[in-house]
Amino acid sequence: MSQLSPKERLLNTLAKKRVDRPPVICTGGMMNSAIVDVMTKTGHTLPEAHFEAGRMADLAAGIHAETGFENIGIPFCMTVEAEVLGSDIDFGSLACEPKITREQFRSVKDVVYKNFATMLDSGRIREVAGAALQLSRRYPDQPVIGSLTGPVSTAASLVEPMQFLKELRKEREQTHRVLEYVSNFLIAFARTLIDSGATVICIGDPTATGEILGPRMFDEYAVTYLNKVIDGIHATGVPVLVHICGEMKSVKPSIPLLHSDAISTDAFVNLKLLKQEYPQLTTMGNLSTILLESGDPERVARRTEGLLLEGIDIISPACGLSTSTSLDAIRAMTGTVKCEM
Amino acid sequence: MSINKQSEEYYRELSDSVVEMDEERTLTAANAALAAGVDPYNAIQQGLSHGMERAGQLFEEEEYFIPELLMCSDAMYAGLEVLKPHLKKNAVSSGTVVIGVIEGDTHDIGKNMVRIMFETGGFKVIDLGRDVAPQRFVDAARDSSADIIAMSTLMTTTMDGMGTVVKLLGEANLRSGVKVMVGGGPISPGFAKRIGADGYAVNAAEAVKLARKLVGTA
Repeated sequence: MSQLSPKERLLNTLAKKRVDRPPVICTGGMMNSAIVDVMTKTGHTLPEAHFEAGRMADLAAGIHAETGFENIGIPFCMTVEAEVLGSDIDFGSLACEPKITREQFRSVKDVVYKNFATMLDSGRIREVAGAALQLSRRYPDQPVIGSLTGPVSTAASLVEPMQFLKELRKEREQTHRVLEYVSNFLIAFARTLIDSGATVICIGDPTATGEILGPRMFDEYAVTYLNKVIDGIHATGVPVLVHICGEMKSVKPSIPLLHSDAISTDAFVNLKLLKQEYPQLTTMGNLSTILLESGDPERVARRTEGLLLEGIDIISPACGLSTSTSLDAIRAMTGTVKCEM
Repeated sequence: MSINKQSEEYYRELSDSVVEMDEERTLTAANAALAAGVDPYNAIQQGLSHGMERAGQLFEEEEYFIPELLMCSDAMYAGLEVLKPHLKKNAVSSGTVVIGVIEGDTHDIGKNMVRIMFETGGFKVIDLGRDVAPQRFVDAARDSSADIIAMSTLMTTTMDGMGTVVKLLGEANLRSGVKVMVGGGPISPGFAKRIGADGYAVNAAEAVKLARKLVGTA
């Protein structure tokens, strides 16, 4: 089995086939590893790489080469979707990721529904797809992971979030309509990336946590629309990873209801116990990004060994990496999984 | 029926309508309380604030989550709008808090929850919003003679700005008069200690308890 390419290893893991060892990946999107160390070393920098396919591909390739992660991950932010849907974005700087400066609508009742074909031709959609195409040709053995912002977070990037959270209760019909629209758009975006060569899609939905929504709203909205997007992607035959942020206690029974091929969690979730309780889950994670940022390669390597011993299926950072994380710390993580340490 | 017993009933209705997230009912109850001559300060404290405290308790018990707490606070604010203009000028304040999300971060759901609980708890709150530069916290604290600066972030990339605020407070000779409290996803009690903050709170309900302790009104 030693001839497995990184792409085969990840796809086999997601298909629950036996593999020689877990893959070690970093998906891009919310969980991207465009750290300052890599950018200064390679000369491929943000914010420029947010805007143009060639630069995005070069930075993604640089990250892959320097960090040792066994995948390529794009884009490097969570704002591609919100920009196209109409919100204002601050594209940040080398060390600071892009963020929404103003959501376009004050209420789910105000949302103007746009045409998908127009949206797929606007903003940075074609640039992200172009980067996927270049990367899938340059690296046929590596999985190219296209990262999406999940439906609840995308909706809360389109409608002012405090109002949106209240309207989950007060304006259920209109909220469902907005989530339906956002989910259909996300499926169309994912399919554009898949047509351009993306091997796997990862969905991060940081607003859709048990801590924010509670179990009832999590089931009514997060599970429903995550599954809608996942099903839409599965129809193309491509596997889907889902990252759930935050403490999961209150929504744990809902996790097996998700149709994704793997579940990634934050560092304080005990993946080993989650796996014991729900053996059908393929688990991904969950090396503390705070530990990674602290920069001690020795401790990073020990914790990575711990995850391997616990039988975690895919080794990955537990959340968004700080841009000041050191390359040495990341290499300690990837090297430990690959037995290079 | 004695006037006290009558007041109690208005307080209970105000409190219940807040807990039950019923803004219309809170408005009606607040107007009815005023018309009946109930003291507006007590109506706020023992009615609206009491309701928000119960909501906060339900939040800690994981019966309520953020959407529910936001709906309760809408009801509470609606009642407050009615009662506040009738308050006597020198009603007691628990203290002044300058609050904001540190520079580089725009995640403000948590900060807004803490603001609501502070306002409910009788604090005067100066909300600087999100993506706030460290110097602005210090300037606002000076200008308002604040007792507390409360900062949050959800991003590891921006945590260090909190330490900068503590340092700038020291340089402005304001540190002894202003308590600093921090919170948010990546923040820990250990981090709070390292940057020289006075305390860490894990959620909005805890934040108010901590604030009361820090300014000695607990």
